Amino acid sequence: MFEVGEMTAVPGAAGARAEELFQQHRRQIFRQTDQLFARLMLFQWVACIVLALVVSPQTWDGAASRVHIHVWSALLIGGAISLFPVWMTRVWPGAAVTRHVIAVAQMLMSALLIALTGGRIETHFHVFGSLVILSFYRDWKVLVPATVVVALDHFLRGIYLPYSVYGVLAASPLRSVEHAGWVVFENVFLVISCLRSIKEMRFIANRTAALEASDQRSRQLFDDAPIGMAVVALDTEKFKQVNGSFADMIGYSEEELMARTPLELTHPEDLAETRRSVEAILNGTDRCAVEKRYLRKNGDVLWASRTACVIRDKDGQARDFLVMVEDITERKRAEEAVRETQRALHDAKMEADRANQAKSEFLSRMSHELRTPLNAILGFGQLLERQNPTVQQRARVEHIMSAGRHLLNLINEVLDISRIEAGHLQLSVEPVAVAQVLEEALDLMRPLAADRAMELIVDKELENDLHLLADRQRLKQVLLNLLTNAVKYTAVGGQVRVSVERTHSNITRLVVSDTGAGIPTEKLARLFTPFDRLDVEQSGVEGTGLGLALCQRLMQAMGGNIGVESVVGKGSAFWIELPAVDSPLSALPKRRNAAKDDAVAAGGGKILYIEDNLSNLTLVEQMLAEQPHIELLTAMQGGLGLDLARKHLPDLILLDLHLPDLRGHEVLARLRQDAVTRAIPVVVISADATARQIQRLMTAGAQNYLTKPLDVREFYRVIDETMRSPDRQPEAAVA
Amino acid sequence: MGSARRSTIVIHSRKNIFITCLLATAWMAALAFGGRVLFKYETTAGQVGPVAANWPASSTVPRVTGKPTLLMLAHPHCPCTRASIAELAQIMAHAYGKANAFVLFTKPAGAGPDWDDTDLRHSAAAIPGVTVLTDENGAEAARFGAETSGHTLVFDPSGTLIFSGGITASRGHAGENAGESAVLAALKQEPTGRERAPVFGCSLTGRTSMSGGKLCSK
Repeated sequence: MFEVGEMTAVPGAAGARAEELFQQHRRQIFRQTDQLFARLMLFQWVACIVLALVVSPQTWDGAASRVHIHVWSALLIGGAISLFPVWMTRVWPGAAVTRHVIAVAQMLMSALLIALTGGRIETHFHVFGSLVILSFYRDWKVLVPATVVVALDHFLRGIYLPYSVYGVLAASPLRSVEHAGWVVFENVFLVISCLRSIKEMRFIANRTAALEASDQRSRQLFDDAPIGMAVVALDTEKFKQVNGSFADMIGYSEEELMARTPLELTHPEDLAETRRSVEAILNGTDRCAVEKRYLRKNGDVLWASRTACVIRDKDGQARDFLVMVEDITERKRAEEAVRETQRALHDAKMEADRANQAKSEFLSRMSHELRTPLNAILGFGQLLERQNPTVQQRARVEHIMSAGRHLLNLINEVLDISRIEAGHLQLSVEPVAVAQVLEEALDLMRPLAADRAMELIVDKELENDLHLLADRQRLKQVLLNLLTNAVKYTAVGGQVRVSVERTHSNITRLVVSDTGAGIPTEKLARLFTPFDRLDVEQSGVEGTGLGLALCQRLMQAMGGNIGVESVVGKGSAFWIELPAVDSPLSALPKRRNAAKDDAVAAGGGKILYIEDNLSNLTLVEQMLAEQPHIELLTAMQGGLGLDLARKHLPDLILLDLHLPDLRGHEVLARLRQDAVTRAIPVVVISADATARQIQRLMTAGAQNYLTKPLDVREFYRVIDETMRSPDRQPEAAVA
Repeated sequence: MGSARRSTIVIHSRKNIFITCLLATAWMAALAFGGRVLFKYETTAGQVGPVAANWPASSTVPRVTGKPTLLMLAHPHCPCTRASIAELAQIMAHAYGKANAFVLFTKPAGAGPDWDDTDLRHSAAAIPGVTVLTDENGAEAARFGAETSGHTLVFDPSGTLIFSGGITASRGHAGENAGESAVLAALKQEPTGRERAPVFGCSLTGRTSMSGGKLCSK
């Protein structure tokens, strides 16, 4: 069954508990054996009386008789022997003195029985049987008084009535020793049995104490768990055990919960889901977690995360459910609040979108409504200038033209700012050759600078190789704005310089500095505020007050910065910062061999590339230079591109989306609308790689879509694939 | 509260200890007294009358010459005589054919016909070589001078008494004893070592009760 010797003593509190259990077990055995002997004593007493009545009921004197002394002996001596130990078992149950009295009494009972049976040797077995029954106490000490009584009885009888015990007239003293020896012989094994029993009892006590300690720890974990825990009986479906957290959570006392089932506490709307989860667990799912609602005692709803699993017995049969419940009411409230907020935000956004849409429509309409009369004003103004007006008339026309241009600039800038703030500004951020953009801007500024006898200086550091990551059109717009301001607000004969500074690894700063009056430090913060012209309205210098504000937003939209440093009396230096990048052409030589391998395999043809960025144009020119059978036509404006397309009917059009005059999708739309160019395949090349934009262009009729920076291999593949396409029949379209 | 309760327990225990000691003393005394009475009863022999030194001529018991004759006088209802009959069986087993044996069960005057139809008589009758007779009104007992059940007499072939007494060691106790040994020796016509032995059994005559003596005692 088990090896008693393997169980070591349990240390600490468990050891004390083990000792307590051991003593408790011993007391229980003592008491139970006391009760056994109490009954046995009474039985033996009655048996003695019956025996005496049967064997020797009467003694005779001739014809007369009376009760035999054996009957009286059985009644009185037997009663004396029995009753006192029985009384002891009532008054001193389990006490050592009781079992020792019982031991003596039991041996005396043996002596009485032997006497009543006339010394029958068979009756002596009562002695041995009594010793065995006494060993039920599992206390070897109790055998001592019993053995002493037997030994004394034999010893005394051996002396005075040897024939009564030994059946001989003169017994040797050794006979007493021999008889006692047999008793001792039995006692040895009874003592061994008692000691083994004690050892086993200690083993059981130690193991029980260890189990209790383990159970106590488990119970403590259960009771003190911060989450609600409960055990539910599968047969009754009622709670068998709940911890304090669960009771607190649900608002019932532990006693009240014991009389209920979890389903009685479940919100009616969650009953079906709860039953399903229970069935899922019973059908084999290890554990099941659901979020459900309980009803507290006060009727409130408790949102809980409930995890349940099955507790099985040693045979694997499902017996109970272990349910763990976490109060998530607050979380649910928070989630509901978040949902409410999201709904409110969504509503607000929708409202804002509607307002923005209304604003856009307003601006669009305003732009249209203002541009229409402006078109007439500026158009007719220009016609008047061409009709040799008088000096006075020319001055008046100049005023009209100046006011008209001012108004047109104002409209454009307002619309730009509005687009930026609405997030509708379309940018094509790509490597831009700064020198080219700057040159274009300076070309526009030179007439104004010449009028004011101003010198425009560009640092030699600004070489062709410098490329910045920006939208080409918007960078030019910003530079033009800064140069215009520098020229306008610098006194006649002054100087405007454009220089470059590398701030750190890849951020490059372009600086437009002038020798103007400078700006007081306290006004610098207002520079980028729309319509704030820093009190220069009276200076006669024209301006909308929107230029710098627009520049700031454009730079932010391109991922750059703008700033100013100014010293009154010496001048101002406006700067912009943008990330510097390698020229797209710089990587071309490395790819040239690969490009050759992947070169277009198709036959010859014409390709029209509509692109305003010279770097990109150059790149494509050089890539296609490897294909002598392909003729490349280029256009830096959308309108020019449309003209070239109609005139030359190219086999393929490569189209950039950000063009100075027309937007790319507008060019695409016109190509598709024109019967002459409708069949020419168009491949869009753009830095905008969003799926939405690609989908939009493909739907609008683009044959393919390439994203910048260009992958040469992909570029060739697309060119080849498009020019091989059987749909490519522009001539047929013309015909 | 705790200390008061503890005090109560202590007082209660002391009271119990006192009573227990008292009862234990009484118990031991009672047992000692009872044991002594029983011991005395077991070891007290019965009365023996004037035993005839020779086979009485008036006896109706048919003595056979040439062999020793064993005569046991017994009360048919005496429980103590069971041991004597048992010892007689032992003796006869050893001396079968060497002696004539009679067991006379006394039948008082006025006793019913079934008076001596007892298990004791049947036991005696079952012993090989033993003749069971009824001693009407104890006449033979009187002739031989036997007053206690189990009294055994052995006469030599010439009718001379060679042993008189009991063949059990004590009242109702079977087993080897001096009387038994002497009887066996006498039946084998060997030196007996003793001619008398105490007799343990009930009174045959009723005189004991009439004289106020103890039953089954001298």
